[in-house]
Amino acid sequence: MSEKFGKIADGLLHGKIDEVAALTQELLDEGVDPDEVLQKGLFAGMDVVGKKFKNCEMFIPEVLRSAKAMHAAMDKLRPVLSEEGGSRAGTVVMATVQGDLHDIGKNLAGMMMEGAGFNIIDMGIDRKTEDIVDMVKEKKPQILGLSALLTTTMPKMGEVINALKEAGIRDQVKVIVGGAPVTDDFAREIGADAYAPNASIGTEKALELIKA
Amino acid sequence: MPKINQTIQTTPYFQVLSENQIEMIYSAALDVIQSTGSRFHHDEALELFKNSEAVVTDGNLVRIPLSLVERAIKCHPRKINLTGRTGKNTIKLEKNVVNFGTGSDLPFTYDRETGERRRTEYKDVVNAARIVDYLPNLDFFMSHGIVQDVPNPQTYDRHQFMAMLEGCTKPMVLTTVDGEGLEDMWKMAALFRGDEKEYSLNPLFVTYIEPISPLKNDRTAVEKLLFCAEKGIPCMYTPCPSSGATAPATMAGMLVQSLSETLMASVLTYLKKPGMPLIMGGVTTVLDMITTTYSYGAPELSLASAANTDISKWIGLPMFSTGGCTDAKVLDEQAAIESATSNFYAYLSGASLVHDVGYIDSGVNASLESLVMNDEIIAMIRQMGKGINTEEEYLALELIDKIGPGGEYLTTEHTLKHYKEWFQPRLQDRSDYETWVREGKKTMNDRIREETDRILREHYPEPIDDKIRQELEEIINAAEKRH
Repeated sequence: MSEKFGKIADGLLHGKIDEVAALTQELLDEGVDPDEVLQKGLFAGMDVVGKKFKNCEMFIPEVLRSAKAMHAAMDKLRPVLSEEGGSRAGTVVMATVQGDLHDIGKNLAGMMMEGAGFNIIDMGIDRKTEDIVDMVKEKKPQILGLSALLTTTMPKMGEVINALKEAGIRDQVKVIVGGAPVTDDFAREIGADAYAPNASIGTEKALELIKA
Repeated sequence: MPKINQTIQTTPYFQVLSENQIEMIYSAALDVIQSTGSRFHHDEALELFKNSEAVVTDGNLVRIPLSLVERAIKCHPRKINLTGRTGKNTIKLEKNVVNFGTGSDLPFTYDRETGERRRTEYKDVVNAARIVDYLPNLDFFMSHGIVQDVPNPQTYDRHQFMAMLEGCTKPMVLTTVDGEGLEDMWKMAALFRGDEKEYSLNPLFVTYIEPISPLKNDRTAVEKLLFCAEKGIPCMYTPCPSSGATAPATMAGMLVQSLSETLMASVLTYLKKPGMPLIMGGVTTVLDMITTTYSYGAPELSLASAANTDISKWIGLPMFSTGGCTDAKVLDEQAAIESATSNFYAYLSGASLVHDVGYIDSGVNASLESLVMNDEIIAMIRQMGKGINTEEEYLALELIDKIGPGGEYLTTEHTLKHYKEWFQPRLQDRSDYETWVREGKKTMNDRIREETDRILREHYPEPIDDKIRQELEEIINAAEKRH
């Protein structure tokens, strides 16, 4: 059994998407506890990926392949996982704010966070403030990630935070903001909980925020 | 007796792509346009496409037959002249005439007093404008920074243009918030020529517009394109793909995608009104795979840009290229290396406009000192571009014979005449060690700082006429009222 866990972890490390999904299915068919597959196989593998990325032994394309493999395995696991096992870290809702169609940074952050064990709900681009607030109400995520590339759309992030306050749910969700013109100062100014200059730091901050 | 069958190479000759390779990339781009298509988030654009041979499916996905693309691309002029507000500085945008200039809209400025970066303000853009106005090797001006100490982010562009005009009399490339902003700024520019038709003959600026790679066109970008087409305003549609993330990781694949993005814009403007002056562009660089930074110092940026320039020359459009920029956070050795190599490559490629000179911190931070440093770099590069003259006077056979073995050339008329053709550094130090110590052991950085101080202290461009200034302000105030 532990051999198969090792294989899953190894497959993740090497970004073997189909193989990781197939191995996950095999273990489930053999009646292994899904929580155990998640902990000993997938998370074990992603922890190594995280360490190797930090040491510059793995680069973004390899890390994202691993995240994709993780995603494929989660598709098999999610229907049978226990409530608390389903998301080790929590749920993240993310969106690019209204008026802005840029999404590469947000997508990267989403993939990396998923790799770190978050359940990601990606609302896409050009999302209205009220739609984002409604989604937070409905899905009750631990974290809301907002993205903007333009200085003209950046103020929309503050608008979303204010709308969360007005809806009385600001204290129920941590807000991370990111995008090229965004800074730590700006994040503080608009009352965000954290600023992410890139996807991997965004993932770190998300993990810190849910611990806090 | 003159010789026959001679070829004289008066300048270095440089190219990245062969004609066959250019044809392959162009042909592939036509396939992308015809089969993959591009999304347009704009109703009028979709109507224009629907009423042509183009096919619109899935709401806003546009595919265009290559016959239409080939018709459209032939309708742009091969050459554009731009003239600054005083009528004294003109640049020609055509192949192999290389003009250098700044980039635009950097959210931060390197504060020369504190040594820290801070939000860019109106006065920072005026200062950058004054420096570019002064520097002899910078030929056009983009805002360098983005003005943020203004009442409304939706109208910042008019104030920014005002700051640019205050400080600089050279031609410009302008960014605008949307179509309405562009219209205001076009009206502002036309004030310097008297009327719109006169302005069309002698435009002051090119509009900078960009698609969102891969293959997306947002509302404001399309608005601007359509307005440029309607009024015949020169514009560039310059993709900013990050190779490996928003474009293929191969340079050729990135070039195919970028070209198809530009060609789609060509067709759209053709359908609106044929003939708009279009400039090809592309900040075609890589996404750094450790930091996810969109790199402004990558050699791939220069390589792909030079290849793109080869394509632009073959198509017959002026080219907007990139150089003089860096990922370094301050003006250090990395900044100097990346600025110099990218400028040199862009120059050799023969691009019409080389922008982003003075960008530091991966296109986030504006440095005034970097402009001063780059001016010296460009002066050196232009010297290297001069090539070797092999006419009789230059072969100097008679002189060599006259001086003979063991003689000297220092006191000859020939030396007196020709040494002046050399590059004479203004900032680089060629003194001996003793002199260098005596004069305070100044580094290049010290000298750049002093020169920047001096320019800011001494150089003010010809002021804007009071009547025009008032009319400019009226346009800006009207915009403020509307928003």
